Amino acid sequence: MALYLYLQFPALQPDSLGCAAAQQLPVAVVNEQHCIVQLNAVAGQSGITLNMALGTAAALCPNLQLLPYQPQLQLNILQNVAQQLYQVTADIALDPPDGLYIRLCNMLQLYQGLAGYWQALSQELKLLPYRYYYASGATPFAAKCLARQQLNLLTGEPDALATALNHSPLRFTELDTDNQQQLQRLGINTLGQLLALAQAELARRFDSSLLSYLGRLRGSFYHALHYIKPEHSFSRYVELLYDIIDTEVLSKPLHALLQQLEQQLQRINAACHQLQLSLLFRAMPAHRLSIGSVQGEYRAANWLKLCQLQLDKLKLTEPVSGLQLEVTAFVPQQSQSDDLFQPVPGAVSPLQLVSLLQARLGYHCVSGLTLQNQHLPEQASQRPLPLLTGKTAVTALALRPAFLLAKPQRLTETVEINHGPERLCPDGWALEAQRDYFIGRNSKGQWLWLYRTAQQQWFVQGIFS
Amino acid sequence: MSALLEQLTRRQLLWQGNSQHTAYQAVSSGYAELDQQLAGGFPASGLIDIQTGQGIGELRLLLPYLQQQQSSGRLLVLISPPAEPCADMLCAAGIVLSQLVIVTPKTSKDALWAAEQCLQSGCCASVLLWQVPLKLAQARRLQLAAEQGAASVILIRRPMDGLSLPVNLSVKLQPHRQGVLLSVQKRKGGWPAAPFLVDMQNRWPGLCFTTEQHWQARRKAS
Repeated sequence: MALYLYLQFPALQPDSLGCAAAQQLPVAVVNEQHCIVQLNAVAGQSGITLNMALGTAAALCPNLQLLPYQPQLQLNILQNVAQQLYQVTADIALDPPDGLYIRLCNMLQLYQGLAGYWQALSQELKLLPYRYYYASGATPFAAKCLARQQLNLLTGEPDALATALNHSPLRFTELDTDNQQQLQRLGINTLGQLLALAQAELARRFDSSLLSYLGRLRGSFYHALHYIKPEHSFSRYVELLYDIIDTEVLSKPLHALLQQLEQQLQRINAACHQLQLSLLFRAMPAHRLSIGSVQGEYRAANWLKLCQLQLDKLKLTEPVSGLQLEVTAFVPQQSQSDDLFQPVPGAVSPLQLVSLLQARLGYHCVSGLTLQNQHLPEQASQRPLPLLTGKTAVTALALRPAFLLAKPQRLTETVEINHGPERLCPDGWALEAQRDYFIGRNSKGQWLWLYRTAQQQWFVQGIFS
Repeated sequence: MSALLEQLTRRQLLWQGNSQHTAYQAVSSGYAELDQQLAGGFPASGLIDIQTGQGIGELRLLLPYLQQQQSSGRLLVLISPPAEPCADMLCAAGIVLSQLVIVTPKTSKDALWAAEQCLQSGCCASVLLWQVPLKLAQARRLQLAAEQGAASVILIRRPMDGLSLPVNLSVKLQPHRQGVLLSVQKRKGGWPAAPFLVDMQNRWPGLCFTTEQHWQARRKAS
């Protein structure tokens, strides 16, 4: 038998205000029609109810804190909850704005029955700050109808579920208000009465939406649900409780974000190479930082260290009001094997060291060196990213200087020539550009790499060190 | 008397002048006369101070040592080199380029920070640091970081007077036609030595004048 679970979260927005101070104050969410749509426990105690007008609510509770209703934020929170629950249960479908369908019939074998399943799921839910109501049902709509009555009924017995469903008032169904009124005029107040009627009779009096709802409620029509898939990206936004201008203070909320990332990465055994951190301001466009780690990293402490190095360089002209952390690509974690017999002190790998240097000094300040198969000195050395293995087949030319000057300088002193000439020509046909290279020593004892152009001018290009 | 001496030695209250050869682990410098003077070679870890003019052969003196340091698979880091390092020369001297990292910080403060990070990490064998003014406390910090990561940091700077730094080895180089003239300023567990010639004619014949050329030049001058 199919079995579904519906979870309803009555106050996602007020419950997401994580801090203790917000828990002490009455908080309510108001929609555009000035109607209370969500409230926290403290507001409920002071007599405020859902769908109350804003004026009445304010009169009842003078220190009521109001939040505007944000559909996008609500959806984001719901998605986060679904991702969190995905760790214990497989088939989850979103039901915006505040519900989740979970198909649990195929999870029962794994958890050895409903009790074990509910234990695992409720433990996961306990970690989240959101209040919830739940109910099970033979179809998604049945479960939803029961959950909206806040029955908190979890059973697999068809009889108990059918009885509960038959007693459900019509206002908890998905029927529109016109249909509900029409049915009430006919003396039909509960779902049981409606289900007892013959379908042909209903089809004559009511439109197809009622029939399709009843069909899906009974399970005779197919109800398509879009089950979520685990994300391979991470995107979280945290609104700061107060504006922060000191980058050191900023690391606290950032650490919380990074820990969420660590949890997600650890669960799927992944790491990431790059973070996008956006600092959001009230009056300025957001400042975006990209923080990289050459070795894929998942630990929050290591990421925080890299982030702090970048933040230290930053001069904030305006306080930060929010933080957004995004990771677009995950990579599988690779464990590195250390030498068992030669333990190297310090737990930093070369790639981690390079990331650390890049974070503080900038990407262009850290580089490697490769040898190219070129005879011209300017092109023989290249500075790519560090720790890359270049072509091994290239043989090095003997007697080249240790350092090349960025721009050849005119020779202005007397030198004693020791070696040369060695003629280098950029291209076979450009005979005017040919250079004759010499090695010379000046009066200070410096060994210089000199060349003479076809026009008999002398230049210093390198220094033997 | 000898029983008393033995007792004092066991309690580490007695210091003997001839038990100093274990001040640091030495790595052969690749030049026989230098190894002899330095009792084995350059230190494998700690701060090495080299006071030298630019381009007289200071890197050539170090290359065999750096190559041996790198052979354990650890990194060699060049911090703020004076110009573009040339791959040909380093590769010909046996340096593995994939284990080479070049860092070009903008300020000397960043350079010191980078040096300390590299030394502490334990994945670098040697760090070369060019022309960074170093205070006593900073030198001490580098020395400690180098000991922690079992790495060596080589400070290459112009000859200058000042307070002596806490180093494992401090040498001064002067140009010479057949190599470099090296004088040991300070050595942990050893004595300063008078200037002597490190002959590079075997290793680098192209960058030395032979004795005949030397005499020819003398005759021309006279």
